[in-house]
Amino acid sequence: MTEALLEVKHLATEFITEQGVARALDDISFHINAGETLGIVGESGCGKSVTSLSIMRLLPRPAGSIVSGEVLLQGQDLTRLAPEEMHHIRGNRIAMIFQEPMTALNPVYRVERQLGETLVLHNPQMSKDEIRAASIRMLKRVGIPAPERRMQEYPHQLSGGMRQRVMIAIALLCEPEILIADEPTTALDVTIQAQILQLLKDLQQETGMAIIFITHDLGVIAEVCDRVLVMYSGRIIEQAEIHTLFDTPLHPYTRGLMNAIPRLDKPAKQVLSTIPGMVPSLFDTPPGCRFQNRCEYAQPQCRATTPPLEGDSDQHQVRCFRFRELMH
Amino acid sequence: MTQYFIRRLLLIVPTFIGITILVFVITRFVPGGPIERMIAEVQQAAMQGGAGTMQSTTSGIGGATLDEDQIRQLEQYYGFDKPVLVSYWDWLIKVVQFDLGVSTRYSEPVWDTIRERLPVSAFYGITTMLITYFISIPLGYLKAIRHNSHFDHASSVVVFIGYAIPSYVVGIILLVVFASNLEWFPMGGFYGDDFDDLESKWEQAADVFYHAALPLMAYVAGSFAVMTFMMKNALMDNLAADYVRTAIAKGMPFREAITRHAMRNSLIPIATHFGNNISVIIGGSFLIEKIFNIDGLGLLGYESIVERDYPIVMGVLVISAILQLVGNILSDICVAVVDPRVQFR
Repeated sequence: MTEALLEVKHLATEFITEQGVARALDDISFHINAGETLGIVGESGCGKSVTSLSIMRLLPRPAGSIVSGEVLLQGQDLTRLAPEEMHHIRGNRIAMIFQEPMTALNPVYRVERQLGETLVLHNPQMSKDEIRAASIRMLKRVGIPAPERRMQEYPHQLSGGMRQRVMIAIALLCEPEILIADEPTTALDVTIQAQILQLLKDLQQETGMAIIFITHDLGVIAEVCDRVLVMYSGRIIEQAEIHTLFDTPLHPYTRGLMNAIPRLDKPAKQVLSTIPGMVPSLFDTPPGCRFQNRCEYAQPQCRATTPPLEGDSDQHQVRCFRFRELMH
Repeated sequence: MTQYFIRRLLLIVPTFIGITILVFVITRFVPGGPIERMIAEVQQAAMQGGAGTMQSTTSGIGGATLDEDQIRQLEQYYGFDKPVLVSYWDWLIKVVQFDLGVSTRYSEPVWDTIRERLPVSAFYGITTMLITYFISIPLGYLKAIRHNSHFDHASSVVVFIGYAIPSYVVGIILLVVFASNLEWFPMGGFYGDDFDDLESKWEQAADVFYHAALPLMAYVAGSFAVMTFMMKNALMDNLAADYVRTAIAKGMPFREAITRHAMRNSLIPIATHFGNNISVIIGGSFLIEKIFNIDGLGLLGYESIVERDYPIVMGVLVISAILQLVGNILSDICVAVVDPRVQFR
């Protein structure tokens, strides 16, 4: 096995709030190889975004902090880097795009300035003309028509899809090795969503970058990802190659999610299947499996000890004591 | 955009007429006025004279008064014989020709009186505004960055005290402590008696600021609280904004992300405020001017109301109304300059 591009090992992140300490990430371990697309899926509050913010060290401070674990970018532990060294990683080697293209761009600056800024930060030797040329080239590459004109516009003059394209252009300007896409299509309507997903796939083909794709939409996952992490209440509960996950989901939670997807090949007007119960509060997590209170297969053992994440990390891993029995 | 501002400028005319007509009519109907004042003066003079020499002047006991004929002459002189709107029209025509009339108290042109006072108020106003910006913007910035720190709490106490105490009370306290007890600063006035004897411009400027220290503190104490909190809150909002996170995700250091991205957006509400400040500031606060015995526009306006010196009342009103109206437009221009999303149509 070749060395992974990015390897996260036993990462734990906590938030100190007025109600107490919330452990938002607990023992997160995964890796991503060059050119690969890794999906992270889960419901709100499961730790998908916190995972990406932890990798980028963008956690809201002073409340959030990484308490243990490593984030290795080609062997270099990002959690131990000085803040100044981290500036050379962000935007340069790992770039990020966000959910809300409406607010992620500064309303008072022109597109040109917001694009150029990244290049100025990471390639200080570039001249103004070079930066301008590179920015226009990048806008063209992300499919923005008349880029010369768009450069002079303000974000409010662009549509949502255009803004997300600009965000992608900003992220890709320095040719990062990894792009973290945190729900990049959630705020867009479906046709634009498909365009943006296709764009990301095309750009990945051209550049060979790795993409960490965070979403709560299994449909989107199915479309773009090579491998998927399923998160629940701050833990990875299942990890698998994309087809494996959709064909043989092992964890009861993943199965619940699959069952909750409305399907075209089933009779219409059925009651949608749901998972009963609530996610446990992060301030008051039960010992053992986090899914125990909603799991129809829960046993005394599940309430006492945390199941390990078992299996081959490149193939299929699951965090459940009973997955072997449930396989059939 | 230009069209919008032309329209706004044209709208000044009806607004201005509305304001002035209202006050003009009020001056007509409130009790007292130049004629009544004159009658009172004559009576007083007669009583004093009568008590002194027992010499009866014109009519019976109880002191002299003006006869009907004299009153009619006075009414004619002041224009009170005509209907309100007619004399308002006469006044307006004169105003358009930059003639604000003649003060009934000083018997000199109103414009000259105002012109004498305007620089004094403008000096205080502009200096206060500059000091307020110089304190509020950095203070608000620091408070936002160190939100919930000891520094934040301690400065909030000071800011709230400044906000809670009316500025004239601050003025009185400053006067008692620093001018009367400690004698560090003069009791009042715009400059010292020996101002004209001072050698250089520098000494004269120093003298003005020496006299201005306490009133400026009183002015600033009243105005910096709102501005500081406006700055702090705006910056806090913007620090949490997504585009600041985007900037940091680009690899920008946090400090730079604040100064380049969050600060610019935080200045928008401050810019909105700018135009409104102009009028308030140049108009001056008559209470502070009264306490520190500064011959400014505020004090002039106040005294002219007490003395029923209507031409001056109207003159001060004209100046402050125009400043207010122009200030509003200036605010709009400022907003349009700092916020590209703002489009006036």
